[in-house]
Amino acid sequence: MSLSLTSLLHVTGLVKRFGGFHALDGLSFHAAAGEILGLVGPNGSGKTTSINVISGLYAPDGGNVTLDGVSIGGIASHKLVHLGVNRTFQIPKPFLSLTVRENIAVALAYGRAQVAPPTAEALMDEYRLTEVADRPASELNNAQQKMLDLVRALATRPRLLLLDELAAGLNPTELDWISARIKALAQTGMAIIVVEHLMGFIEQITDRVIVMNAGKEIFEGKLAVAVKVPQVIEVFLGGEHAA
Amino acid sequence: MRHLLLIVLPLLVIFALLPGVYQNHLLLFNFVIFLVLAQGVNIIYGFTGYLPFGYVGFFGAGAYGFAITVMHYHASAPMAVLVAGAVGVALGLFLSPLLRLSGAYFAIANMAAALAVLHFVANPALEDITRGPYGVSLTGTFNPTLAYAAALIVLALTMGIVVFLKNSSFGLALQAVREDPVSASMAGVNVVRMRVIAWLASALVAGLAGGVYAWYVSVFFPDNVFSSDFSIFAIVFALFGGVATITGPIIGVVALYGVYNLIGFTTPQYFQLIYGLLIMVLVLFLPAGLVSLATRRGWRVP
Amino acid sequence: MLVYALVAGVLFGLYFSLVGIGLNLVFGVMRIVNLAHGDFLMLGAFVAFGVVTLAGLDPLLAVPVAFVVFVLVGVALYKILVPRLQGSLNPEMLSIILFFGLSQVIQAITTIFFGTSERSIPSSALGSIFTTARVKLFGGNADDTGGPIEFFGQSFPASWVTAAATSLVAIAFVYLYLYRTRLGTLTRAVMSRRDEALATGIDVDRISAAAFGIGLGLAAVAGVFAPFMFGSVTPAFGADATVTSFAVVVLGSLGNPLGTALGGVVYGICYMLVQTYLSSWADLLPYVLLIFILLLRPSGLLGRQVRVA
Repeated sequence: MSLSLTSLLHVTGLVKRFGGFHALDGLSFHAAAGEILGLVGPNGSGKTTSINVISGLYAPDGGNVTLDGVSIGGIASHKLVHLGVNRTFQIPKPFLSLTVRENIAVALAYGRAQVAPPTAEALMDEYRLTEVADRPASELNNAQQKMLDLVRALATRPRLLLLDELAAGLNPTELDWISARIKALAQTGMAIIVVEHLMGFIEQITDRVIVMNAGKEIFEGKLAVAVKVPQVIEVFLGGEHAA
Repeated sequence: MRHLLLIVLPLLVIFALLPGVYQNHLLLFNFVIFLVLAQGVNIIYGFTGYLPFGYVGFFGAGAYGFAITVMHYHASAPMAVLVAGAVGVALGLFLSPLLRLSGAYFAIANMAAALAVLHFVANPALEDITRGPYGVSLTGTFNPTLAYAAALIVLALTMGIVVFLKNSSFGLALQAVREDPVSASMAGVNVVRMRVIAWLASALVAGLAGGVYAWYVSVFFPDNVFSSDFSIFAIVFALFGGVATITGPIIGVVALYGVYNLIGFTTPQYFQLIYGLLIMVLVLFLPAGLVSLATRRGWRVP
Repeated sequence: MLVYALVAGVLFGLYFSLVGIGLNLVFGVMRIVNLAHGDFLMLGAFVAFGVVTLAGLDPLLAVPVAFVVFVLVGVALYKILVPRLQGSLNPEMLSIILFFGLSQVIQAITTIFFGTSERSIPSSALGSIFTTARVKLFGGNADDTGGPIEFFGQSFPASWVTAAATSLVAIAFVYLYLYRTRLGTLTRAVMSRRDEALATGIDVDRISAAAFGIGLGLAAVAGVFAPFMFGSVTPAFGADATVTSFAVVVLGSLGNPLGTALGGVVYGICYMLVQTYLSSWADLLPYVLLIFILLLRPSGLLGRQVRVA
């Protein structure tokens, strides 16, 4: 697919090294506003690392990341948040001793959302946290903590949202519910990148996937097509961690 | 506002009136100093999670800032107290790289920093400037009544900072940084700047307290104003009451410093024994302080 | 001068390694900061006083006594204190305060029983057992003992050499324990990934108790030599010893007990060089060195672990 004019995020030749290990080795892809893009690949293929670099947790060792034509590689996380990039974490990271409401209040106060963000009440209502609004985050179950992570991100009104294994550990009803929510978010014009191991979930919500192996992309397109490409099959079945 | 009216104002009024009815003014003065220091620890440990094991470094540096300003520049005492606060902030800035360290590493490095400042000030080679180990005598500015009033002003400032932290999204963001710096930055919080601001605020109040202390006692040695007892007591008082609250450190100081003065001076080693045991019991059974007895029951404690 | 400072630095440095190694073992295994470490050193010194004054024996005999006694004390203390501590929200921070409290208790009790006066042991007492044995087995004169030992044309007190030699043996013992025994292998597993060790069913509690006991035992052994290395010991000696131990441990990297051996030698040489050439600033050394190492080389001289916030 050619680079469309509407695409928000461009990643070109991204490199990230840890010691001698190349976690990212020339990764390139793009994501458009309103699109849900899946990042799939075996463990260690660099999915989470790419999210960490795009969200400013690590500075890249090479290559480019641009958001709306502006280079954002190596910018500190909080500034990226102000530019409209946010994310959730594989293992949710709420502020444990603060209440749910306080957790959200921090992001509302410091997120500097360019468009007025939804209120804490609306967010808690939409993501089923109203009941626990005044409880410390440490008392939430894993699924609730994941939703709090997502709400914390949404409170900053991101244009680009990176979801790192948001669905893992949710039950089938919760999965249907959250995929409807993610699709609704994309319809508001948000670009969403989803890292996930559950292929059914990826199939259900993504418009397009990037298959990664050894720190770079090896396929880009529909998941239904991807599963018929020999190179992709080999990566998934030949590797030690078949999906 | 409610907190200022209901907690801070009564506290200040009580300590302003007590000298009229209670004779041991030095004890009252020490209470005020420990209230400031315990709240200073509260600012940095309670709200950001950095345990300032060398907190006395700012206090001692403030005391010497006061002394040097008075001795060498013949400044007035109130002016010298302001300098003491500035010295605290300057030392805080100088030590701000320590904030890169986490957990025990920060605590140890901070303790080492305070000892380094002590040995620096007490070095005989600097006798011309600091009087080295021989101590300073500032009889010219001696005025306990005014110094006590100044201590109350410093206490008011400190309490004001804590009330602000407890009631503002700034304080909430600081606690977010304490809980999880990565998530805090993903909430748009500038983690490094927040930490430095809290660190400098707690350095400022300790520096001011050191200046006021120097003014009040007027004769002191490096070992007095850099005594690690100040760090330890301030930390234990704050923890005993409960940090990240307004009232916790106040309760801690009043309860524990009260006990200290009841049993303290006659038999220091028995006192040390009781104190040590008390600290251990506190950590093992009430790690979140006295106020947690209330918060556990779901009561909100300011 | 330089040769003297260097050799004395190595001798002191080996001893400093022994001073710090127990602290590091405890931190490495449990992420617990034993702020009472120096106080166990001080208690070790009192065991030596006891062996000399009560039994009239060579203080070297205090080494096994102190070790065994404090391994047991350590295991008991572990059972009482640590599980509760690790159930709390922030064990690393609270451990600092808990063990500060313990340090106060130890100092207070020692003061109550022994007073605050400085105690020392004549250095000729150390190693007298060897002299006695030599005289019995090979004949010769019992008087030429405790005298200085010569290296490179410089003479050093025999007690320094004995302390350094004992330290080497103790470090070798720690090495053998960690790398040649089953318990030691498990200990290293806990040190590198505590959570995973728990998940794989390793009895983390037993290993931690053993490490805590050995840590205190090693501190007490170091304490036996403290009266010779520092001239005298009082109940308040512990606080300074703790800071020095931290400097040594951090130099070699916190969490890596064998790094402590290197940290000790580097520290010892720096200490002696500053003592020789810049004596009025010598007091500053441990603190400044500690801060600079933490900031510039946060993982210590040998470390890999990240400790940056």
